[in-house]
Amino acid sequence: MTDVIDHRRLLDEIDAEVRRRRASGDLPADFERELDLAFARFAPVHAIGDDFDQVVERAEQSAFVDVLAPTQSAQPLVGHVKRLIRKAIIWEVRYVAQQVSGFSAAITRAVRLLGRRVDALEEVAPPPARLRAAGATAASLDAGRWGPTVVAALEGVSGRVLHAECGDGALVTLLADAGFDAYGVDPVEQAAPAGVEVRTDEALDHLDALPDGALGALVLSGCVERLPVGALARLAVVAAAKVAAGGRVVVLSADPRGWERGRSPVEADLASGRPLRSDTWVHLLGAQQLQATVAAEFAVPDDETLQPVPGADPALAANISRLNELLFPPASYAVVATRR
Amino acid sequence: MSAIHQFLPTFASRDAIGTHALHARRILRGMGLESEIYAEGIPRPGRRQARPYRSFGRRPTPGGTWLLYQSSTGSAVADFIRARPEPKLVNYHNITTASLFAPWEPHVAVECREGRRQLREMAGEVELGIAVSSFNEAELRQAGYRDTAVAPVLVDLDGADVEPDPEVLARLGRAKRDGGSDWLFVGRVAPHKCQHDVVRALAAYRRLYDPHARLHLVGGAGSGAYVSMLERYVAALGLAGAVTLTGSVPAAALRSYFRSADVFVCLSEHEGFCVPIVEAMRLSLPVVAFSSTAVPETVAGAGVLLEAKDPATVAAAVSRVLTDGALRTQLVEAGVRRAADFSLDRSARRFTDVIGKFLADQGA
Repeated sequence: MTDVIDHRRLLDEIDAEVRRRRASGDLPADFERELDLAFARFAPVHAIGDDFDQVVERAEQSAFVDVLAPTQSAQPLVGHVKRLIRKAIIWEVRYVAQQVSGFSAAITRAVRLLGRRVDALEEVAPPPARLRAAGATAASLDAGRWGPTVVAALEGVSGRVLHAECGDGALVTLLADAGFDAYGVDPVEQAAPAGVEVRTDEALDHLDALPDGALGALVLSGCVERLPVGALARLAVVAAAKVAAGGRVVVLSADPRGWERGRSPVEADLASGRPLRSDTWVHLLGAQQLQATVAAEFAVPDDETLQPVPGADPALAANISRLNELLFPPASYAVVATRR
Repeated sequence: MSAIHQFLPTFASRDAIGTHALHARRILRGMGLESEIYAEGIPRPGRRQARPYRSFGRRPTPGGTWLLYQSSTGSAVADFIRARPEPKLVNYHNITTASLFAPWEPHVAVECREGRRQLREMAGEVELGIAVSSFNEAELRQAGYRDTAVAPVLVDLDGADVEPDPEVLARLGRAKRDGGSDWLFVGRVAPHKCQHDVVRALAAYRRLYDPHARLHLVGGAGSGAYVSMLERYVAALGLAGAVTLTGSVPAAALRSYFRSADVFVCLSEHEGFCVPIVEAMRLSLPVVAFSSTAVPETVAGAGVLLEAKDPATVAAAVSRVLTDGALRTQLVEAGVRRAADFSLDRSARRFTDVIGKFLADQGA
């Protein structure tokens, strides 16, 4: 008997071989695309996936109605009869077919034009997935700072507590240590602390898959600062639905007025969305029949603000204080909402 | 005397479920039970072996009669036996996911959906669900079956040791003299078997490793639309001389294909068990397969199980199997051992145990 096969190692070696072949140019980048296109030419439209151009191309090919039905037959007489029938009715078939073909061509043309408009729209407002690839980073959260606020907000909660997006799982660990049945999701795969359940998933996708009332509490961070406003509005609806009666929704977010300061220029410029003000979350969650309040606000650290001048004129001190209020609104906040 | 009669949507005496039913009947009769096979569709070669299901009659049979439904698709037979007063068992071979058929054969997709509906609705009326794999058992559980057991499909792998068809063997041998390896896949030509993915992989393999490689796709047409597409696809890729669609072939010819092949490649999206993989392993043919549905359970580490089936990955895996002598030996030895797990003797013993325990529980 020979040694047991190390399948993991074998698959890794196969993968390395594929990468080597691709890098060497043995397998041109468009080779597999050509195989796909050839398949798409012959497969039914529902079998060729979601490639918009391929589907429209197929629709255009199908828009033409062939009026010449095949007349071949293994039996000579049957073939003759078929040809006679075709000759007798071809004028009517052609008349109808021209109208059907014209209608189909107009529809496919309209779909092409619509596609161009969507392309143009996406240039103005790119879909979130494209932006994430361009510059987003994994969510991070200062669990030490937020932990006490969140633990206090979840007092009396029973059932599972979900933190989305949980980053490296630090807050999940803190909540688990505090006795909550906590787990996290994050779109960026990363190593979680031992014994901490962290799944790789988008917050909204994960919430959509949960039954209503499945959670004791939901803590939202990260996603609430980068999703487009439409997605945030939907997030409020979904979040409210997924917590059980008496459960909590906690939103931990940067304030939009100070949000850019903590981000790289690339991340800030390419973000598909911006955080909302705390009052907006109170409004959105309140509209879902949750009782929402601003539970905490964190100011910008003193060493980042304008400093008072010792012994200065009171008017100058008042101006500095006023400037600090204008230039440095609260850096972040926590909104806590309870499902009645 | 007690009886367990089998009911099938279609009884084809040469396909996997047909031969399973024949072996099951022999085993049941060997246990001292009366057993007949009833079906809706009975193609000609099987007409002496099975009876039309309507001939079972309308009157209730005497006590101690059970009806065993071989579930593989939607069928009027399922509704027929559901309306019968006799206690029932289900032997589940899996039902193809409808969405895999829908673009190609909408009516087959409807049958598949119907089959899954019937399977769910029978759950509360069935005494025991017998699955041919753990994967299928999990589906039975999900459908609401409480009492379930696994007994592998009954297939006579030793019976595959028929003499190869000399003409087919000679033809394949002549092609081999010009160089190039021979890939084989056996199974109905149908969308969920994804023969087109094997063709794509062959195209990549010929480009990267072996421009003379050939592919033999053995199996009857499971979808006319898919077969037609596949033929045109092969031609469009310039592979008409390299890919053979043999259609359904007799056992001797099939044996020739197994003997001539260098590797068995299965990229199916859906398999409830996959008998051809076991046949390949039994006949010392290394297996490269895509890890889907019940395939990992059937292969059980005795083949190269791929997590992706893009053409380059499959091509690289096949190349590795064909050029790494030590790996090939390991795969062949592991495959032969794995196939032995599904020998007719072992599977029959398992089937006998499951039925015997069931009858004992029933006090029969």
